[in-house]
Amino acid sequence: MADTPIPLEVRNIKKRFGDTEVLKGLSLEARKGDVITLIGASGSGKSTFLRCMNLLEQPDEGDLIVHGEEIRFKHTKHGREPADWKQVVRMRARLSMVFQSFNLWSHMTLLENIIEAPIHVLGKSKKEAIEHARALLERVGLTARADAYPAQMSGGQQQRGAIARALAMDPEVMLFDEPTSALDPELVGDVLKVMRDLAEEGRTMVVVTHEMGFARDVSSQVIYLHQGLVEEAGPPQEVLVNPTSPRLKQFLAPKY
Amino acid sequence: MIDLHGYGPRLLEGAGVTLQLAVLSLIFALILGLLTASAKMSRNWLLHKVATLYTTVIRGVPDLVLMLLLFFGGQMALNVATDAIYDRFGVDWYINLNAFAAGVLTIGFIFGAYMGETFRGAFMAVEHGQIEAGKAYGMSPWLVFRRIRFPQMMRHALPGISNNWMVLLKTTALVSVIGLSDMVRVAAEASRATHEPFTFLLPVAAVYLLIASVSEWMFARLQKRYNVGFGGH
Amino acid sequence: MTELTWLNELLAGNRIFTPQTIGYYWDGLVLTTQLVFLSLVAGLVLAIPLAIGRSSGRRWISLPIYAYTYVFRGTPLLIQLYIIYYGVVFFDGIQQTFLWPILREAFYPALIAFTLNTAAYTTEIFRGAIKATPQGEIEAAKAYGMSQGLMMRRIVLPSAFRRALPAYGNEVIFMLHASAIASVVTLMDITGAARFVYARFYAPFEAFLFAAAIYLCLTFAILYFFRYLEKRLLAHLKPQSGN
Repeated sequence: MADTPIPLEVRNIKKRFGDTEVLKGLSLEARKGDVITLIGASGSGKSTFLRCMNLLEQPDEGDLIVHGEEIRFKHTKHGREPADWKQVVRMRARLSMVFQSFNLWSHMTLLENIIEAPIHVLGKSKKEAIEHARALLERVGLTARADAYPAQMSGGQQQRGAIARALAMDPEVMLFDEPTSALDPELVGDVLKVMRDLAEEGRTMVVVTHEMGFARDVSSQVIYLHQGLVEEAGPPQEVLVNPTSPRLKQFLAPKY
Repeated sequence: MIDLHGYGPRLLEGAGVTLQLAVLSLIFALILGLLTASAKMSRNWLLHKVATLYTTVIRGVPDLVLMLLLFFGGQMALNVATDAIYDRFGVDWYINLNAFAAGVLTIGFIFGAYMGETFRGAFMAVEHGQIEAGKAYGMSPWLVFRRIRFPQMMRHALPGISNNWMVLLKTTALVSVIGLSDMVRVAAEASRATHEPFTFLLPVAAVYLLIASVSEWMFARLQKRYNVGFGGH
Repeated sequence: MTELTWLNELLAGNRIFTPQTIGYYWDGLVLTTQLVFLSLVAGLVLAIPLAIGRSSGRRWISLPIYAYTYVFRGTPLLIQLYIIYYGVVFFDGIQQTFLWPILREAFYPALIAFTLNTAAYTTEIFRGAIKATPQGEIEAAKAYGMSQGLMMRRIVLPSAFRRALPAYGNEVIFMLHASAIASVVTLMDITGAARFVYARFYAPFEAFLFAAAIYLCLTFAILYFFRYLEKRLLAHLKPQSGN
């Protein structure tokens, strides 16, 4: 497998908002089949880091290599920008993101949401896209809701639908930005189950989450961020079971 | 400087007519609007129906048609009435419907319907709990209206009032059609007489823009005052 | 003319509403419909690119468009009509061009004025709707590899059109009512017909009430049409109970 390129590599990402530096040099390498979980308190920079990976945020420094292809940047008076937006568009089509607030397109039915990007970005035929979408809907248990609009579905259904939309891109890496944080507690389980299944079938995933159970059971690597730096990283057995950093110990301590 | 082939002073006078007409119509429309809103929210079945008919018909017919109807029709109705008085009592009255008064009454009557809808929506937006709190502290209905409902309603109504005012201002241009010498009529006459339409019409357009911009600024300040305690919403 | 006998019978004994005056109103209805329909279509075609430009972050694009909408929304349509109607003569040499026979008639200056006016209002309606696109839906489009153009075409505009529908319905009614001023520049639209009938018979109530009734019917027709459209196109925004 050595000759297939690494799906996603980020090196030394730095990002500042005004005067505060929120990311102070973060790196990550997602090999095929890796499930990398990013944990940390709010404000630790984990979501910003994830959003830098598909350039929804522009990192001020650092490299991004997707499927062996390095993203080129140029410097303008507004700061650093991608040199070639076509390259960014191509790269984003290889990564697909699942958002905290689902972000399904509200004027389209669930099925239309799922086939939109495969048809118009990947150039698939409509027939092929619909077939694939139906199979994915069955996987996430939403066959009956194919023609519903997002506003007509519960949060849990919307998020499972959003995961189906992400899968429809046949992504090399799936990025999850706190996918269960906006859900009512009783709906979290269904979404986590779908994510566990995906991990088991060998999907490459980068997940920002507060669900420690998921991080412990599913990830190949856990990264604990504190104030824009990696405080501790490694396999979940080490990081979550025997943490060395006092901050991480405190973060993991049960809260009453 | 603003001689404009001798039309300068008349144009200036016309601008005065436009402004007076607009302000007086606004006042009439606001009063009529409050009455309409009260009638629409009233439990009296007939009042409610009449108010609904008024707002529906007025908002369904062009301003110009209403203006022509009320101006020409109003004059005829007055004539019929004065004739009847003459026949019966031998008193010879002749009332000539003044174009300015007709303009104020017509525009006020038209925009009273729009204001009525604005006020009704605003009254309904006031939370019921606010009113109950007033009652619970022993306020009389009038006191509750004056101190609680009205100021809170105004916060919701101001954007609508401001919007209606902008439309009303532009509607005043239509009175030139029924013979009132506002600035539009003077400018149109001057354009025809001198064959220099831009010399007269562009400054008049600029005056409208000026009035609109100044009133926009004033409404923004008013809104700020009524928004106290609502965090800029 | 035999097919009109029923109309003759109906109108027998009526001094004002003869088949001839009814004919004036009918021609007026046709003219009003033409003016309003054509200016709305042309205004819509202009407004879409203008609204996209108005939403642009580049000020040299958005500012001139804002100046245009500010001027056309801030001045009376009657002034705009006068400027175009009286002003068109003064473009040097226009009398010699093939355009002259067209522009000499009042119809085209009116059409141009109405089009520019409704385009200004529609631009601002669409701009508001574009601005109201949920940020998350735009991010999702970006994250799925859509280019700016594709995102505008597939995500932003379709969702903005639906959001703009109620406000645009009001604009259509506004345009119908505003078109009454065409009669000021001698056009025989519905209001023009009413003014003619009034002048001829000195019967203000009959002449203008009949015109008002026609406008009222048209207004309700537009209102119900847009309500039907909203019902069909905005169904997705209403949560369904029981899910």
